[in-house]
Amino acid sequence: MISSDPKQVKAICFDRIHLENQTSLAVAKKNGAYKFLPTVLKDFDNERIMDEVKKSGLRGRGGAGFPTGLKWSFVPRLTGKPTYLLCNADEGEPGTFKDRDIMRFDPHLLIEGMLMSGFALGVKDAYIYIRGEFLHEANVLDAAIEEAYAANLLGENILGTDFSMDLTVHRGAGAYICGEETALIESLEGRPGRPRFKPPFPAVEGFYRCPTVVNNVETLATIPAILEFGGDWHAAIGVPNNTGMKIFSVSGHVNKPGNYEVPMGTSLKTLIEEYCGGLQHGTVPKVIIPGGSSTPWLLAEHYDTPLTYDAMMKAGSMLGSGAIIVMDETADVIALTRRLTHFYAHESCGQCSPCREGTGWLERVMIRVENGQGCEEDLTVLYDVATHMAGRTICALADGAAAPILSLLKHFPDEVRARLMEKAA
Amino acid sequence: MSLQNEIHFTSERLQEIDVLVKKYPGKRSALLPVLHMAQEDFGYLSMAAQQLVADTLNLRLMVVREVVTFYTMFREKPCGTYLLEVCTNAGCMLNGANELLAHMTESLGIEVGETTSDGMFTVTEVECAGACGGAPVVQINNEYHEKVDATYMDAFITRVSGGQS
Amino acid sequence: MTTLFINEEEVTVSSGTSILEACRTHGADVPYFCYHPELSVAANCRMCLVEVEGWGKPAASCCTPVGEGMRVTTHSESLSKDREMIMEYLLINHPLDCPVCDQGGECKLQDYAVEHGSSHGRYKEIKRAVVDHNLGPFVSTCMTRCIHCTRCVRFAEEIAGTGDMGVLNRSDHMRIEGVVEDALASELSGNLADICPVGALLDKPSHDVSRPWEVKRHKSTCTQCPQGCDIVIESRGDEVIRIKPDHDMGESWICDRGRYVHDSFRSDARILTPSIRTDSGMQVVTWDAAVEKTVNLLKDKRVGIVFSPDWSIEGLTSIRLLHDRIFKDAKVAFDLHRRDMRPFAFEEGFGMTPENIVTADEVVILGSDLRQRLPILMQGLRKRTFSNKPVTRIGAMNYRTNSELTHDALIRPREWGAVIARAMQQLKDLGKTAAGMDAWLSAVPERHEAGKLLADALLADSCALLVGEEIRSHADAAALIHGLDLIARASGHGEEGRDARNLIPEGMNASLLSAVFGDIRTSVSDLFDAAHDGELDALLLIGSDPLGDGLFSMQAKRAMGKVPLVQVGAVAGDVSEYADVMLPASAYSEVDGTFINMSGNVRNADEPLSTVGEGRPLWKVMMRLIQGFDVDVPAVDVREIRTLVQGYLPSLAVLWSDCVDDAWHMPVARQKDAIFLPTGIAPVMALDVISRYSMYREGAWVRASKSLTEAGHIRALDDVLLHPNTLQAAGLKPGACLVRTASGDFTFDVGVRDDVVEGVLFIAKRGVAGDLSCEVMASLGGGQ
Ligand SMILES: Cc1cc2nc3c(=O)[nH]c(=O)nc-3n(C[C@H](O)[C@H](O)[C@H](O)COP(=O)(O)O)c2cc1C
Ligand code: SF4
Ligand code: FES
Repeated sequence: MISSDPKQVKAICFDRIHLENQTSLAVAKKNGAYKFLPTVLKDFDNERIMDEVKKSGLRGRGGAGFPTGLKWSFVPRLTGKPTYLLCNADEGEPGTFKDRDIMRFDPHLLIEGMLMSGFALGVKDAYIYIRGEFLHEANVLDAAIEEAYAANLLGENILGTDFSMDLTVHRGAGAYICGEETALIESLEGRPGRPRFKPPFPAVEGFYRCPTVVNNVETLATIPAILEFGGDWHAAIGVPNNTGMKIFSVSGHVNKPGNYEVPMGTSLKTLIEEYCGGLQHGTVPKVIIPGGSSTPWLLAEHYDTPLTYDAMMKAGSMLGSGAIIVMDETADVIALTRRLTHFYAHESCGQCSPCREGTGWLERVMIRVENGQGCEEDLTVLYDVATHMAGRTICALADGAAAPILSLLKHFPDEVRARLMEKAA
Repeated sequence: MSLQNEIHFTSERLQEIDVLVKKYPGKRSALLPVLHMAQEDFGYLSMAAQQLVADTLNLRLMVVREVVTFYTMFREKPCGTYLLEVCTNAGCMLNGANELLAHMTESLGIEVGETTSDGMFTVTEVECAGACGGAPVVQINNEYHEKVDATYMDAFITRVSGGQS
Repeated sequence: MTTLFINEEEVTVSSGTSILEACRTHGADVPYFCYHPELSVAANCRMCLVEVEGWGKPAASCCTPVGEGMRVTTHSESLSKDREMIMEYLLINHPLDCPVCDQGGECKLQDYAVEHGSSHGRYKEIKRAVVDHNLGPFVSTCMTRCIHCTRCVRFAEEIAGTGDMGVLNRSDHMRIEGVVEDALASELSGNLADICPVGALLDKPSHDVSRPWEVKRHKSTCTQCPQGCDIVIESRGDEVIRIKPDHDMGESWICDRGRYVHDSFRSDARILTPSIRTDSGMQVVTWDAAVEKTVNLLKDKRVGIVFSPDWSIEGLTSIRLLHDRIFKDAKVAFDLHRRDMRPFAFEEGFGMTPENIVTADEVVILGSDLRQRLPILMQGLRKRTFSNKPVTRIGAMNYRTNSELTHDALIRPREWGAVIARAMQQLKDLGKTAAGMDAWLSAVPERHEAGKLLADALLADSCALLVGEEIRSHADAAALIHGLDLIARASGHGEEGRDARNLIPEGMNASLLSAVFGDIRTSVSDLFDAAHDGELDALLLIGSDPLGDGLFSMQAKRAMGKVPLVQVGAVAGDVSEYADVMLPASAYSEVDGTFINMSGNVRNADEPLSTVGEGRPLWKVMMRLIQGFDVDVPAVDVREIRTLVQGYLPSLAVLWSDCVDDAWHMPVARQKDAIFLPTGIAPVMALDVISRYSMYREGAWVRASKSLTEAGHIRALDDVLLHPNTLQAAGLKPGACLVRTASGDFTFDVGVRDDVVEGVLFIAKRGVAGDLSCEVMASLGGGQ
């Protein structure tokens, strides 16, 4: 049970996650699912919900950390067009695996979050865009949705109110880029997932050119608690401007990899040492990628950085989706960079010239560098190619692709040069 | 001209598609789900299957081709009875995925991307599966297997091969 | 309106304009590849980056709307580096084969590489190889040169509306692919080569022929259809390399027919020298000898003159001069598709401009294969689909179009009266009438429901009726057109400014022709019958080819077999086999001339190619003939001809005075007293006959063109098409069938298509089954 005392809160999204059989509606209900929904549908109006969400300080958990209340307020009213709510369950950012746990263990939490959000936004049709590989999770969601329909929690006149909403699970088919919200929309319209340029933003012209809100699974799963306990309650968790709990997916060289929901502001070190059982080898990490593979690397000197959007920014990186990849002293950062360049080259949607050509170029140079066939000029090429890709394309994938290269060049130039020398010798 | 006569959706499938299409503001949105169905029904998306999907949803063949070739889960060629997809991205790489993959291809005697001659196993390398906490991750016919090691894979391969191999 | 600063200069543009467009209109140079003014924005090349003050990173100007007070910089050190890098990205996988590339010299990639690129490439890895495609007879591909700007894909989807082009794969495996049969289905495919900014899609007919810097450009007018597009003819020496739309005159696209016809300009089919028939065949002679022979053949004879409407105004008027000075009593005809010579209530030509048609609330196509007839207008109508504006079609055949039709009613030609009557009745019931309506209505007892579509459309604020060949060639055309005129007037669409009446003409210069020849023209079929029946002694064909074109090849053949024939023209064709004298005249591309298109707009062509052989402009040939008859030559230069034109049409005076040019407009003639009531054609036979106009077969120039003829073969249909039910009702199967008509029985390959309305015999190949075209009705005999 979530505590109404912000200081006592242990979990929000993962509150019920370890309970048996939480996927079944009966069990979920017994454990508190949909408990507050009737109150919201009957007593709350759109403005009140918006207010609470704004007050809560909730920032999008998908990666960009954009304030959710503000995003919702961009949706124009009275356009005569329907408004759509899309849940971003594409979870493709290397290192991220949190949304999967919410969906497979507590699908009703997501459904409830989408119902409340949909109610606030005047949505009639909502979709969960889930990455194609998550077949099991899609099946769990489908079963949960079916039960919810049968219990009049979805469909026409939900719980006897005027509110009606349909919810559909839509599987992707293997494309990281479909996590980018406009690529997701393209994909949901039955096209290749090629991001759209902005403006227009989805809030104004999204799915089928209608106003559309795209939110991450974790973001939506936080809404029920915010409405039940109030925006102020949520704002009191964590630190100012970085409020609430956050799930961190920790992987790499830690003894207990996994998802941990902790208050924002917890330090990296605390998370890794107290929750994750410390490093596999040694005591200080060599590299920490704090927010998914697209975020710049941090070093041991940043070990004490609090896990907040602001502090991460100050440390030169980003909190991203909260996917922390930890590397201890045994890591081959060159091999890792090469592997990540392969990822971006493979996942570029191909439309922007810098990203289409640049990601492939980076990979090919990195393969040579890794194999000791590089030369000094390669360092300049890598730097030029990466810097002129970032910020010059339609979406941020190119920025993500540049991040590992620029981090490697910034933090480990000597290691790279040594590799050139090593094989040359 | 049209290759549609070679294969068909069953009438149950067609009913399912009818229901599906109504869930979206536009018919075209059903393209990915229907391609998933076609792949499930026919094993892979041959030109005939793509034409069938195009005809079923009243789309141009090229529209279907664009989508099929964009998404990695859609296969234009048949694969083995067991599709073994090994994630080698960061989290899995740091936990031995490359070594696991090498072990698998070596013991099956194939290269990454190939199928064993008996048509039983196809091994591929995939991007982050979104389960890095359980690295290394192998998807076997779309089912996640986590913290997989060589012993686990060997046992699995032996079991489904009927004890030989 | 939004005011912003481009390179410190204050600029005001309409709100929502992109930064790139604002820069373009204000002369600030921003490089780009994927942007195209006629296509949707893709923003994928990223070449158009500019800096906006206060923005952390450069912005793609093509997809960024202007903002109030925005300060834009188009050139800076950092932008130069960005552009250099974009060039480097684009070039890493490019074959760098400029010396052997046709695009060399007019390639954006090459130009920008020089302007923005760095001098050496740093890419050391393996380059990508891409397979080429077969995109039909007009477009060749070299896909390794593709920069993935997707202009071609957007063109196929947004403009052509046909052709399956798409983007396969992702990342740097991404590639453009087209499906050959479908890409071909576009009559606009030639534009693909223009639209490609690099050398990936190339013009096949001109492949490897020349380099852009070697060519001379001639502004001209295309006379291949009544649209009369402004074109630029590119030549090298005597050779024509290419025809392109004249972008300076605002033409975005031209059709394949107008573009690729040029191989006929220098083909074997050209008439290059005067020649006369001798016992041993045609023999080249001097102009004097040929003129003397002509005079011998025609002097004091009863002559029939048949000419093509596509000559320049100067040429056409000189035909009238020849008539007035020498052959006062000659029969004169020019429309190979018109059966009914009674004056039409509204003459051939458009009451509306193409722009007004495209934006009208309603458009109704009445009996026309508009995509073949007027491909560029049809392209315009396609734009209506994007703004959800309706297009209705009524006619005998479900012709394929590249845009969705809102309503499509199939009717038999004998039902036109009933269709119009149904519309008229509806208008009348709503109290919308015009004088003469009651008489017209009572002449037609039947009503056809398709008329409701027509009336509904006319009830809109603005409406365009596009009256096509099924009505113009109808035996009762004058009555039907009178009926259409009545309903247009009754619904308030009969006045200048709100006119809905557009009668698609056979060729160019329609409004001029009715003004200059209205009083003397006769029907082609009457003219040929007269020759056949001994009422004429000789025929003078001026550019017209009644054996290849139009409905009356059977009559023409019979007539030409009977009387001597003088052929004046630029291309030979089957008629030449009958010619006793041939006189060469310059092609439309070779004259300094004036043309009027279907909407009455004047088109000047004053940068002619040099004439091949001994040909001369038609007006000179006519003057030479007049001189041969010992009559004073009325004009010795083009200026004098133009003065004489004004004698027939004083309003043309302004035309050549002060470069009035395109602004000058010649309205379509109206005949208020052309009152004809439908007679009802006795249905003596079961089937109505309709014949197909094919843009790849019709026209002497087209038949002389190898590449267009090749395209025509690809699209060949069965000779004669019927609805399956029609054939079944006759107890027959597809294959050889006997067709009975008033003028005899024929055997043809008959095919079936759902697209043909039941009860109609559709002649798909005029070349083969052409002699049937003159028939209005037929019935089926047995199979074989
Ligand atoms: C290349 C790329 C991949 C992304 N992948 C994901 C993803 O897998 N899941 C996700 O929730 N957001 C992803 N995002 C962020 C989304 O675009 C979007 O910001 C997010 O779904 C908004 O939801 P939120 O406001 O709730 O965070 C991605 C963005 C980019 C540029
Ligand atoms: S940056 Fe890359 S992934 Fe993003 S839209 Fe451009 S090409 Fe596609
Ligand atoms: S012209 Fe702007 S991105 Fe290509």
